[in-house]
Amino acid sequence: MAAVATNPTAPSPARQRKERLDRGIKVRSEDIYALNSWRELAYLLAPRVLPVILVLLLGFGAPLYWQRVLLSTMVFGLLAISWDLLAQAGMVCLGQALFFGVGAYIAGILNHYFGITPFVTIPLGALGGGLLCTLLLLPVLRLRGIYFAMVTLILPLMIERIIEATKIFGGTEGISGLTPLPGHGLELFLIMAAFWIALFGFRRMMTSDYGLVLKGINDNDRAVMSAGLNIYRYKAQILFLAGSTGAFAGAFMTHAYQFVGMPVFALDYSILPIASAAVGGLGTLAGPALGAFILVPMSELLRGFGGLRIVIYAVLLVVFTVGLPEGVFHFLRRKYTQFERWAEVSK
Amino acid sequence: MLTVTELMVFYENALAVNELSLKVETGQVVGVIGSNSAGKTTLMNTLSGLILDQQIKEKRKGGERITIMGKVEFEGRDISLMPAYERVRLGLVLCRERHPVFPDSTVLENLLIAGHLGSKEQVKRATDLTFDLFPNLVRWRRRKAGFLSGGEQQMLAIGMALVVGPRLLLLDEPLLGLSPAMQQVVVGAIKNVRRQTGATIVIAEQFARPVLPMIDHGYVIENGMLTMTGTGAQLMDNPEIKSAYFGV
Repeated sequence: MAAVATNPTAPSPARQRKERLDRGIKVRSEDIYALNSWRELAYLLAPRVLPVILVLLLGFGAPLYWQRVLLSTMVFGLLAISWDLLAQAGMVCLGQALFFGVGAYIAGILNHYFGITPFVTIPLGALGGGLLCTLLLLPVLRLRGIYFAMVTLILPLMIERIIEATKIFGGTEGISGLTPLPGHGLELFLIMAAFWIALFGFRRMMTSDYGLVLKGINDNDRAVMSAGLNIYRYKAQILFLAGSTGAFAGAFMTHAYQFVGMPVFALDYSILPIASAAVGGLGTLAGPALGAFILVPMSELLRGFGGLRIVIYAVLLVVFTVGLPEGVFHFLRRKYTQFERWAEVSK
Repeated sequence: MLTVTELMVFYENALAVNELSLKVETGQVVGVIGSNSAGKTTLMNTLSGLILDQQIKEKRKGGERITIMGKVEFEGRDISLMPAYERVRLGLVLCRERHPVFPDSTVLENLLIAGHLGSKEQVKRATDLTFDLFPNLVRWRRRKAGFLSGGEQQMLAIGMALVVGPRLLLLDEPLLGLSPAMQQVVVGAIKNVRRQTGATIVIAEQFARPVLPMIDHGYVIENGMLTMTGTGAQLMDNPEIKSAYFGV
């Protein structure tokens, strides 16, 4: 037998290969019959319910400092979800800060100048922010790839400079002393609810026929046009949804910090969601959210290192993206649904 | 010149090429005939080494795992693990299916990019040869390749493979999407390539009718498995081939 295994990853036994198979329980729980058995039901529910419970316990059990970290983690998680939503519809956005900042300023302005309660300013900020960003980006929807990315990158920086130059809305000082949300518990509960609704809601949407069209636009927009669909209408709708998600995060943050100023347009809010998506795994919505849950607390833990913090952070980021390029979420999901074994190659 | 021994390629659990062994002698034109999904392209990608790159890319994406087993020997040297660009330097050149050209570069630029490694004279010679073989291309030499018709792009793609100076030229579905008249032009050009450069040629094709008359030896594959082998004339007379590929 002259043949040798040429796959460098395969060990010495020559006529064996590793095969990947779906776990039995995964196959059994794919259909409505999953309802027949507790085990299958648990298999389906565990990856969805456990994180919710875990975050709930963590959030309300942790000391105040870590509660705040969790809060900003979820805010970044929302931004990452909004980024991935856009990316799945073929729009690579480098300006999540635009959504975040516009939402934050709308909420801040409404609260400061008109004295409106946070329970109204946050929804208004979310919807108004989504609408405003959609209108702002409507003219560039026809741009693709890097051109769209450039415009989205520039817009938040531009708005930042306008506020600085014209000194509107408090100028460089920003607006402080805004109404806080009543109670930390409610605050935490609100952001958790928004986070899970956005995550599960958008994931559900992406599996519907509507989501199918979005994936099609990402894959081959001309083919979608050939199916008689106006892709710009779809893109505008997704822009509104993603914009509203980001704007909600901004409006929420405004009231959580009781302050809104130029930093809301900072590059952090654009870059960190993308980094989260890279670490967590693109195209699943849950991946980027998971990425945010890894990156934001990690950056807090590294605070002890002082000046070296960013260096270590960057190195860890590289380790993640090189070592697990498919993303943490894809990896975990594969391990959860499939198993591997060595199989004889039939002669 | 090229020996393939018990080649097996898996895309995850799907078997694309199954226990395939074939031999290409120097100077021959060898045909690999098979219908859609027979494994022709996978075989060609494995011979050219592109599959190794595909393997890495899929792994990075967390996608399908590609497993390759068996041995590919080029002039007595085991090249199973050699990356594609090194195989090209040995003279093993693949012209991929669906005429991949650089659409934003002109015809001339395309040839220059392909000949980047060669000396100026060599590129000049090969470019002239390409224009000799495909006179249609001459008037489009300054036109962007993306604006050429499918047939012209196919000619350009073959030209780009020739510029590299192949000793073993792998052609993956060179007749795909061409009109019968255009197919004859390309078949004629392939014959000329053999006469003028003396290169050994392997053609993977599903159109048996235009290809069989020009090959010295043919392999018929189905579902990744070798089902028949023989000279071109033998295969043409075979009743099974006639019914399956000639439609008579």
